[in-house]
Amino acid sequence: MRAEPIYQISRKGLTVWHLYGVFQTLLAAIIAGVACYGTYYFEWPIFIYYIAGGIVVLSSIFLIYLFPKIRWDHWRYEVREHEIEIQHGLFVVKRTLIPMVRVQHVDTTQGPILKKYDLGNISISTAATVHTIPALVMDEADALRARISELARVAEDDV
Amino acid sequence: MSKKINRLHPISAVITSVKALKSMILPVAIIIITNGFNFSFDIHSEHFFETVLLFGVWGGAVVLALIGGVVKWRTFVYWFEDGELRVRYGLFVKKKRYIPFERIQSLNYHEGILHRLFGLVKVQVETAGSKNGKPEAELTAIRKAEADAIELAMQHAKIQEVDLNNPEDVITPAVETKAPVIYRMSVRDLIVLATTSGGIGVVLSGLVAILSQFSDIIPYETLFHELEDFVRIGTFIVALTVMLVLIVAWLMSVVITLVNYYEYTVRIEEEKLIITKGLLEKKRITLPLNRIQGIRIVENPLRQLTGFATVVVESAGGNGENGADKKIALFPLIKKKDCVQSLAGLFPEMNWEPILIRSPKRARPFFYRIDFVWLAPVIGACIYFFYPYGLLALLLFPLLILLGIWQHKTVGYRLDDKQLTMQYRIFSRITFFMDKKRIQSLQSSQTFFQKRKSVMSVKATVMSGVTGTAGTVSSIEHQDVEKIFTWYEH
Repeated sequence: MRAEPIYQISRKGLTVWHLYGVFQTLLAAIIAGVACYGTYYFEWPIFIYYIAGGIVVLSSIFLIYLFPKIRWDHWRYEVREHEIEIQHGLFVVKRTLIPMVRVQHVDTTQGPILKKYDLGNISISTAATVHTIPALVMDEADALRARISELARVAEDDV
Repeated sequence: MSKKINRLHPISAVITSVKALKSMILPVAIIIITNGFNFSFDIHSEHFFETVLLFGVWGGAVVLALIGGVVKWRTFVYWFEDGELRVRYGLFVKKKRYIPFERIQSLNYHEGILHRLFGLVKVQVETAGSKNGKPEAELTAIRKAEADAIELAMQHAKIQEVDLNNPEDVITPAVETKAPVIYRMSVRDLIVLATTSGGIGVVLSGLVAILSQFSDIIPYETLFHELEDFVRIGTFIVALTVMLVLIVAWLMSVVITLVNYYEYTVRIEEEKLIITKGLLEKKRITLPLNRIQGIRIVENPLRQLTGFATVVVESAGGNGENGADKKIALFPLIKKKDCVQSLAGLFPEMNWEPILIRSPKRARPFFYRIDFVWLAPVIGACIYFFYPYGLLALLLFPLLILLGIWQHKTVGYRLDDKQLTMQYRIFSRITFFMDKKRIQSLQSSQTFFQKRKSVMSVKATVMSGVTGTAGTVSSIEHQDVEKIFTWYEH
């Protein structure tokens, strides 16, 4: 049995994901609100209330609490000398192996919410694919980016 | 140092214009047809304004296209200097592009009908960087001798990095030696390819679209009475008409394929594959062997039954044929036995007839069970809305299960020292051969249910165009996937 990659995403990353869930739920709530108003105003069938309410309740349970937690639990990464290994997924657990020789460049990105929590995403590009490790502590992300680009430079090979 | 400035052939002005005009025909045709030919130059007619607008805009575009063609021809120059192919063009914004000969991956030739009348050729210069489907430089129309001069200059730059400035001095008849033929499509194969190709769907949908556009013009009122008789004569005639339309569509697709793949030949020359094809328009595509990232043998069920296959190569650089799509059908149709032989000739270090390790029997349900999730509501809806006949939808269940079993039987992989082979099917059986050092990344995936049965799927991606192409084998033994991962790590 292969060992899981060692490192997990920062705990603050989970907070951010919960926050994203809140936004998504708010969006769902607005849509549900419009639907309910329409039902009241145009006298659409009554079951629309139940569906709208159900969607909001379910999305607050799943999108805010459960999905981020499962995803956070599954998320693992490890940067070794010769390869990068990533594990992620919600229902389907995916594990990706990227050899250092295949890495073409590394980016870090940071949106406004991530910035507030001092977090950043790091994207690793090969000639064919892009892999993202989300919500790392910014210093860590920068250090990791520097390290990967250094290791990738050492492992020079033809594409 | 004599720096000779070369221009394009004047015909290139015509070719550029025609190309621009060609892309305008379809939108204009659509506008005209949807308007139902209600055009009039009578100022009192209600259609007068639209007519003027349409023809005004169209006329303006035509004039622009013509001017554009002439400008491009007048401004485009290329020359050889310092071991580079240098290109300059543009009227207001001057663009210069210098391409070192060593960097040129391939020169692709294309001879359209206009080119052939004047003995010209369109040359597309591809480098490793021309990834997004656009060639690095395109010489719309030059004489064949001039194209050969570029090729010679390129060869000399690669062999000896001296005396590049004067390619005229060092001309040797190296180009004219015929390279060994790897594959030539026989007339029989060509006909089989044409008759079994999937192009029929495209042509058919095109015909339907055209017919539906004409529905406004067809006088249904008068037709209607005749139609009654027509129906009375029986559904036989209706079926016959449908058949006729299908046959015409099919014949058209056959003709298109015949014309495109006429005299399809693959040669090998200095580690490069050279593909030539075409009856009216001739194409020559160069494909350096070291740009090939992966090779797929695709057998659709019909062809698998008759022992035929298609060989598709994934290439990193451009091929100038399908734009962003970097898949080239190297052997569009070939007997399975011959294909293994030819490929072994090209890549002797690869194992072309691997013995595959299959998916375990307990993994079989994973190949159809997931389909039930979307199938159940679809069938439910069918039964609900079309009650008695909707029950026929239940037949989908056994069909999908059979397909799943078939897919399960096909799934397999094989690890060699430096090679990963994957086999799988959706409908067509695909055998994907990958060199270890061409694999960009490897990904395993496992659902909760797969974990319980200790099976896992694995996906390997090679570079091809912008996004890459992936091969996936689903639900093989967990340990097998780990073996592949360990193999890939070292």
